[in-house]
Amino acid sequence: MFSLLFSCSEGFTDETSVFQIDSENFFNSEDDYQNALIGAYDLLQSTYMNVMVGEIASNNTSSGGESASDNPGIQQIDDMDHTPANANLKNIWDWMYAGVDRATYILEFENEGAEFEGKEQYIAEAKFLRAYYYFELAKWFGNIPIKSEGRFVVGDELTIPLTSQKEVYDFIESDLESAVNNLAEQAPQIGRATQGAARALLGKVYLYNEKFNLAAQQLDLVINSMNYELESDYNLIFETEGENGVGSVFEIQYSDAEGAGFDCLQCSEGNVAVGFNGIRNYSGPLFDTGFSFNVPTQNVVDAFENGDVRLDVAILDIDAWALETGATFAVGNKHTGYYNRKYIPRQGDADTGDKNLTNPNNYRAIRFADVLLMAAEAHINSPTGNQALAETYLNRVRNRAGLENWNQVGSLLNAIYQERRVELVGEGHHFFDLVRTNRAVNDIAGFESPKNNFFPIPSEEIQFSNNNWINNNY
Amino acid sequence: MKKILFLILFMCFMYSMHAQTISITGNVKGAEDQTILPGVNVVVKNANIATVTDFDGNFRLDVPINSVLEFSYLGFQTKSIQVLNNTPINVELLYDTESLEEVVVIGYGTQQKKDVTGAVSLVDKKTIEKLNPVEVAQALQGTVSGLAISSSSGSPGAEININIRGVGSNTDNEPLVIVDGYRGELNSINPNDVASITVLKDAQAAIYGIDGANGVILVTTKRGKKNSKVKFSYNTYAGLQETTKKLDLLNAVEYAVIVNESHASNGDPIIFDDLSNLANDTDWQDLIFDRSFIQNHSFNFSGGGEKTSYFVGASRLEQEGIVTKENSDYVRNTVKIALDTDLRKNLKFSSTVNYLNSSRKTITNAVNQDTGEIEEFGQGGILFNAISFSPTFAENQDDTFNFLGNEVFNPISQKNNTFNDLDSNGLEGSFSLKYEPVKDLEITSRIGFKTFNNSYKRFFPILNLGESKVINETRSRVLEGRNTLNDYTFENFISYKKTLAEVHNFQATLGMSAQKRVFDQLEGTGFDVPNNLWEFADIDLALGATEARESNSLRTDQRRSSIFGRLQYDFNKRYLISAILRRDVASDFAPSNRVEYFPSITGGWNATEETFWNTDWTVSFFKLRASYGEVGNAVGNDLYRATLGGEATYELDGVLVNGVANSRIPNPEAKWETVKKLDIGADLKLFDNRLAIVADYFRDVREDLLIGNFPVSGVLGADAPGAGLPTVNAGTSRNRGFEFLISYKNNSNKKFSYNVSYNLTYLQNEVTAINGDIPVIGGSFGVGQVEDVSRMEVGEPIGYFYGLKTDGIFQNQAEIDAHPSQNNLGANTAPGDIRFVDVNGDGIIDENDKTNIGDPIPDFYMGFNMGFSYKQFDFAMYANAQVGKETVRNYERDQANVNRLDLYLDRWTGEGTSNFVPRATTSPTNNRLFSDFYVEDSSFLRIQNVQIGYTFPQELTESLHITKFRIYTSINNLYTFTEYIGYDPAASTGIIGAGFDTGFYPVPRQYLLGVNLNF
Repeated sequence: MFSLLFSCSEGFTDETSVFQIDSENFFNSEDDYQNALIGAYDLLQSTYMNVMVGEIASNNTSSGGESASDNPGIQQIDDMDHTPANANLKNIWDWMYAGVDRATYILEFENEGAEFEGKEQYIAEAKFLRAYYYFELAKWFGNIPIKSEGRFVVGDELTIPLTSQKEVYDFIESDLESAVNNLAEQAPQIGRATQGAARALLGKVYLYNEKFNLAAQQLDLVINSMNYELESDYNLIFETEGENGVGSVFEIQYSDAEGAGFDCLQCSEGNVAVGFNGIRNYSGPLFDTGFSFNVPTQNVVDAFENGDVRLDVAILDIDAWALETGATFAVGNKHTGYYNRKYIPRQGDADTGDKNLTNPNNYRAIRFADVLLMAAEAHINSPTGNQALAETYLNRVRNRAGLENWNQVGSLLNAIYQERRVELVGEGHHFFDLVRTNRAVNDIAGFESPKNNFFPIPSEEIQFSNNNWINNNY
Repeated sequence: MKKILFLILFMCFMYSMHAQTISITGNVKGAEDQTILPGVNVVVKNANIATVTDFDGNFRLDVPINSVLEFSYLGFQTKSIQVLNNTPINVELLYDTESLEEVVVIGYGTQQKKDVTGAVSLVDKKTIEKLNPVEVAQALQGTVSGLAISSSSGSPGAEININIRGVGSNTDNEPLVIVDGYRGELNSINPNDVASITVLKDAQAAIYGIDGANGVILVTTKRGKKNSKVKFSYNTYAGLQETTKKLDLLNAVEYAVIVNESHASNGDPIIFDDLSNLANDTDWQDLIFDRSFIQNHSFNFSGGGEKTSYFVGASRLEQEGIVTKENSDYVRNTVKIALDTDLRKNLKFSSTVNYLNSSRKTITNAVNQDTGEIEEFGQGGILFNAISFSPTFAENQDDTFNFLGNEVFNPISQKNNTFNDLDSNGLEGSFSLKYEPVKDLEITSRIGFKTFNNSYKRFFPILNLGESKVINETRSRVLEGRNTLNDYTFENFISYKKTLAEVHNFQATLGMSAQKRVFDQLEGTGFDVPNNLWEFADIDLALGATEARESNSLRTDQRRSSIFGRLQYDFNKRYLISAILRRDVASDFAPSNRVEYFPSITGGWNATEETFWNTDWTVSFFKLRASYGEVGNAVGNDLYRATLGGEATYELDGVLVNGVANSRIPNPEAKWETVKKLDIGADLKLFDNRLAIVADYFRDVREDLLIGNFPVSGVLGADAPGAGLPTVNAGTSRNRGFEFLISYKNNSNKKFSYNVSYNLTYLQNEVTAINGDIPVIGGSFGVGQVEDVSRMEVGEPIGYFYGLKTDGIFQNQAEIDAHPSQNNLGANTAPGDIRFVDVNGDGIIDENDKTNIGDPIPDFYMGFNMGFSYKQFDFAMYANAQVGKETVRNYERDQANVNRLDLYLDRWTGEGTSNFVPRATTSPTNNRLFSDFYVEDSSFLRIQNVQIGYTFPQELTESLHITKFRIYTSINNLYTFTEYIGYDPAASTGIIGAGFDTGFYPVPRQYLLGVNLNF
């Protein structure tokens, strides 16, 4: 009798009826894929940290802030004396892997879950996003753990070894190669990934992976698609009206519609970097106040040729501005007199609290000018490349900036490097350009190679993985 | 039966052949309440003559002259009377409540107390009647060693927390409550319906497996007796209630002086120019504390026929609050029916049904976001405001220009704008069939049920009590909710007794239990209530919000299936051993992780049963016992589940859209806590059982405590918006200590009878391990300070206070200069500021110098109870104490203009003026950081109940057919001896973060007059 009761009761505990959707029974309709995809896009907003700290790491900008102890993690990176115990590096690691996690969650249900027309578009976007996050991780940390099937689970940190940066790039390429075929040329909604965005990112990864021929191919496809052109007014690009403009291949969307706090910066829907970059205690026209981080150096100001219209767009000379407008401001740490004008707060947004964290400035992640310059670089480095085309691409960018064609002095490659720096200053690319082209040792004070080629894996991860995940150069 | 009777009669007849016999008649009653006692055994000593009393307690017997009659009846002391002639004998039997024959409920069975091998406490009917508690739980305080009750509020109907042998879990310490076999709660029973309460404190609770670790409280309610006439009983009391304490605050002038001084010291203009002409001197405490009324009526009748017995009880309690009495009143109605009937000679049916209906109001609308319960304390609570609001404001004057900060507003305005109702209905009980196919084999089948609904409504009118006040509402809204709980337990168990060779006694119990507990919640909000009035506050009349969801629902379904067994053996009642094993399957955990076994073993030695023991010795009873086992605490439910509560928000097409993302990282391994319980004890009785001593050593090691925010690799995605770190079973705590109880009573047959008892529990709590050494942090102090003031950390008690240690006040600049810099704490230091101790000795005072500055867990619990009766008078007193605990003074708002305790009259005002209370200033200081300046010793001794009663002589009442008529007066919560400044040193709430007093609603003092009437 008891064995009977016993066997009955065993099933009894499995029959609970709770109207609860959990992650394993979620994907039941197209809406569910769309909703999960929003979750995966969400983490793009946390890349503000990568952009800001990446720029500070280069010779383009200094750390700034209130004092030398304001955000020590950022100060250390500026001085190239960062260690595995660095709060900002930990944020980048955690947030980019959170993005990987959310994108992979959708990919786990690529074949399971609801079937519907157009599902491949969602899968392709998820692959694009996973590639985006992994690419950030590979740029920053070099050799990282990756998992091709499914999300990471507890215990993986002890069993999954680090994958070399090159192999990570190979893995990202395979995600993107698959994604480009299923992405539409026009995004279903502004902000979502297009085929052009995936091709541009793929071309960029090839370039980083020194597959120049493939890079040139992909980037040429983007250029020849006729979906993008250079915005004629360089200044417009970084203003609200210029958001998602003709030259924007992929753009991270930010909003001032929702409040945010310091306890969860990654939760903000705004561009946190903009407030951090802002003019300290500013009072005056056009701009809004901020925390005076990421201040451009004299070195980058001097890099502009005479007559380059981009200088006044990219760099705000605060003393001149104050003199001109009567604006007032305070002097912060490592004050240079310059601000990163592309990404400092503008007046006129909703100032949702904390207003320093909710600036709505989109981040133009991949611009058409960037694509042209990457394509030019790929062509030069590729044995089958087209030198003449490379020069054309370069000159298109120069002409838009109000400059003459390249003067043929020195190497074309160096001219492209120079052009990349001034075209893309303040946008978080320069450090990684210097590293991948082995110029960082010369250009960045305190930079040691190979040590500083990769940032250190956070100390917490070293502990959790029992030294399985460690960058031994630190 | 007939045959036996015939045999007896026959033998009587035979006996009478050769002795002079007389025919004797008589009547047997209970001595205390004059109840008729049917079924009393009347036996002639040394002869085979016996009978039982009939329905009216009468008997008739033919006995030899000079023979001795022995009257025995379960629950009464046996009495012997010599028959000298044939005058009718009227016998009165005395209750035998504390005899060794007491029966205790041990879960799926009963046991004679002298055979119990575990640590068990028993509270009987008489104690409950004497204590006359409003809530059943209050009868356990001070009467059960090792048990403590605490409450976050003295508001009528507020929840009472019970801890048995201390706090061992950081998640849940509430004991399991079983009422007549169903899972119940103490607050839904009328104390007058309770027959006895048994508390299982050690590994004996393993019979309840995964639910037994916090101890088990087994309540037996009153039932009728077979073959007894109907008895009616009416008990009532009524009285006045008042607060036991008002805090000593500053009056208007003292207040104005300090406010001026604060501003002046920072170089700001003073606020009050003319101290002799202040607008008001309002005593806010006087305005919010009320004298209020309480009354309780309880009526029951019981009786039984040959096969059936019944008990029916009903009660009504009306209790007003003592803080704004109309805003915190409580009404409770109960009806209870117990019915027992013999369907066949060997098949018995019994049932208990208990109905509850209550309605309650509370003094604030504050809703705890975690529990959904209404809370009556906290920043912005009404008592907090009564303490902090400026005395210079008039009764009807709001702080329009925010002079006093966002969290402080006029408590009277707050009271006038607080609207809430909570109505509850419950029906609970059990039905059981007991079948005895052969002697000593019992099969029981039982269904326990509890269905409970409550509905609540809270109205938040449009309100503006001053600029930026947190209580302000720009849009009126009404929140309505319904909760339904359905809990069923189906249990079957079989028990068999067997004695071999007359000395080997075995008893085996084997059973199964299936439990289903379904909770449903529905909640909705309506906006823009018509006319902004409570009378129209209904969702039906209100509008919807334009965005966001306005209704919520929740359903949980928890199931258990269990099998259990217990084997008891004793050798001639001398050596006792009992083994328990329970297997639980709980749906709260991952399917692969649902099964656990809980074993325990207990043993005892009854020395007094040894053949060498001389019963004439001073020691009349001596038993040693020990128990060890594992018991569970079913926390950690649903942590294995990956839920989709994460934040997924992104801008697409220029607008923010919401999606779906995973929330906290699930932990598929999450499981219950397991407690390894050891108990070694001794029971001793001396002087004819008059002096009793019970002593126990105990040690509970609790493993797999849930540690939230357990750090894991970032690759798992825990740092995504709305996600979080997992909760894992990673901690161990240990509670150890001893319990000691001594009681003495004289022979209650005397005219003057008395009893005294004292119990003491020493308790030491320590967290012994947390994997990875990550402290669990929590608690909150003041406004805007880091929520890391209460911690669970290895080597310390759970929830100890984590703050800075102070060392007096800096008297001058030279002292500051000589001391390690305190500037890293956030503000510069000036003379008159608190001097903190450089605990880690690194030459700088900062966050790293925070340390253990006290804990809310008492080192000692005590109970002291005494009573005596002389002729018709009776007297009782109950007191309890907690020693070695601390409470944080957290009802002070850190704002220069608020009112404060008169403690601040002794503030530092210049060199040598004070070495304890810092200066008054508006400039930023470190003085308000959490430090031991705010930690007070809250040890206390409370006289919980004093009662004097008078029972009218029976001669007077008999003619009215009244068997008992007693009147009494009592004072509950008469006085509390303590040095604690706040309202109530006994109040507490929570586990990590416990002991932070933000203005606890004090437990009222009650002056009662009552009547007990039996007829």
